[in-house]
Amino acid sequence: MNYFLNLLMSGLVIGSLYGLIAMGFAMVYRATGMVNFAVGEVMMIIAYISFNLAQIPSIGFVGLLCTTIPVAMVLGLVIERIFIRPMLGEPMFSRVMVTIGLAVVIRSTVILIWGVEPKAYPRPLGDGIVRFGELALYPGQIFSVVALGVLCVLMAVFFRYSRIGIAMRATSNNETTALLMGINVKHISAISWLLSSTFAAFAGLAFCLMFSLEPDISQLGLRGFPASILGGLDSVVGGAFGGLVIGVAENMAGGYLGRGLKEIAGFVLIVVVLMVKPYGLFGQREIERV
Amino acid sequence: MRTRTYQTNYAELVTLTPHRSTWVWTMAGITAVACLPLFLGSHGLNIMSTIFVMAIGILGLNLLTGVAGQISLGHAGFLLIGAYAQAILTTDYHFPTWLAIFLSGVIAAIASLVVGVPSLRLKGLYLAITTLAFTFIVRHLVLFGEGLTRGSEGMAVEPLKLFGYVIKSDFPFFYVALAMLLLFVVLTLNIMRTRIGRAWLAVRDHDIAARAMGISLMRYKLLAFMVSAFYTGVAGSLVALQTRYINVDTFSILISIEALAMIIVGGMGRIHGALLGTALILFLPELLNFGFALTGSRFTTLMADRIYEIKGLMYGVVILLFLRLEPEGLAGIWRKIKRFWVQWPLSQ
Repeated sequence: MNYFLNLLMSGLVIGSLYGLIAMGFAMVYRATGMVNFAVGEVMMIIAYISFNLAQIPSIGFVGLLCTTIPVAMVLGLVIERIFIRPMLGEPMFSRVMVTIGLAVVIRSTVILIWGVEPKAYPRPLGDGIVRFGELALYPGQIFSVVALGVLCVLMAVFFRYSRIGIAMRATSNNETTALLMGINVKHISAISWLLSSTFAAFAGLAFCLMFSLEPDISQLGLRGFPASILGGLDSVVGGAFGGLVIGVAENMAGGYLGRGLKEIAGFVLIVVVLMVKPYGLFGQREIERV
Repeated sequence: MRTRTYQTNYAELVTLTPHRSTWVWTMAGITAVACLPLFLGSHGLNIMSTIFVMAIGILGLNLLTGVAGQISLGHAGFLLIGAYAQAILTTDYHFPTWLAIFLSGVIAAIASLVVGVPSLRLKGLYLAITTLAFTFIVRHLVLFGEGLTRGSEGMAVEPLKLFGYVIKSDFPFFYVALAMLLLFVVLTLNIMRTRIGRAWLAVRDHDIAARAMGISLMRYKLLAFMVSAFYTGVAGSLVALQTRYINVDTFSILISIEALAMIIVGGMGRIHGALLGTALILFLPELLNFGFALTGSRFTTLMADRIYEIKGLMYGVVILLFLRLEPEGLAGIWRKIKRFWVQWPLSQ
């Protein structure tokens, strides 16, 4: 029972990381209708920048958060302005390929600058263990789960009630119609990239607080795909839920079935889910006319 | 004026080439390439063979992505299956090596049904991610199916035997690879002018409209996946025969991205584009090497240490540049140059 609970808990923690990444995917997909294959790499570069920021003496956790997040936002805006906006109106394939190209460029650049050796990230939250009954959690793990919960609620409210959120939904539905209704599509695209890299920043920080920083962190972006697919690419909250499910499923597969199944359990799961529900669990079915 | 822009009957529409002179040029080109080994060292021969082998796989990816419009990030997986099929069939089951090449293609084609079947329900990006998942799953199966694949140790591959000759060195392999490439180019040209090729184009342009015109989406999408995987499987088995030792790490996810870079650089859906793109992308590291050698030793050591990252950076930049500046790729540039000279005094 204890074994099961521990697997479940660490699954939820890893799942919350996947969830944050999946929210990053869904954010861009929801607003612009394209998949951002570079989320993992954006997370990677932010994590490395935050590593340098954390070297500042007595910056503290709040200080780190308050510097990293704005940096992430600016980075998102810059990427959108330089690489994504000029592709507006091009076929979807080219636009997605731009993000793939971007992903490779960012990953290589980061490795060229910071090297491949793992770096010991400082522990601004301390090394103490927080106990809940039988469960023991590190502060970084709690941060990850809490960040997912808070962002999830904020996003649900944002999409339902705020003007920008509703404008984003309209843009994703039909770019041209949204433009004709007076929505500034360019701003929407910029905001979605800003938010997406903010989620990536939270995921990157949470990763650094739990593990040491190494180039493999960008793999997490690919591992986040099953989560966003499971939740439906266009559902931000669904992505968070999908992340938790995939995290738990991976850990259970690794714990009970064993032999490296942990790495691919998520991918197997989505191939099965997609056969039954082609638009994910929470995705909207697209109806197409000739 | 010799443009042949307008085709007036069906026979003209399906001819292999509208101009007689094309045959002459093609033969001259093939002869020139066949004479290359006289001038190249073993390093150059190796690169040329790699280009020919990769080009077969890229032709396959181009059929699927450029012609039939289905994005695939899973071709590293098919290449892996082809290579391992070649190794296992020849060492463990003692198949003749030349037969194993084609059987590897068939095995990859059968495996492609795993992705092909979901593709009937998935579109665009969902499909891209499923194919990505496929690569991960294949790599995992190879790593952990130790009884069959020797796991992470990798496998040594028997050299190719043809008509009693054992092909071990670069020189004969160059001609084998060239012959295989020509075979597949002719095959592709012929697929493209049949009902199948035109049905794929229709599926790419609008699948629902294609279905309304009597094209069975199920049959043609699955066929596209299988044909594409067959090409890539054959390419994989040739890679195995060329390097004579295979390992999961040879077929990383970067290969899929490299392959997409090749078809984008070449120009989507064009056969000569696929060939040009493959050649350019595979030549780039050599050019870079050459450039670094000129700048001095500091860059050469950097190049040696970080070759993987520098290559990645290069592919990324090339993808970004071509998408921004010349979406039609090298095939588009070629077409523009040709049109300029064909219409010469009147060209703009």
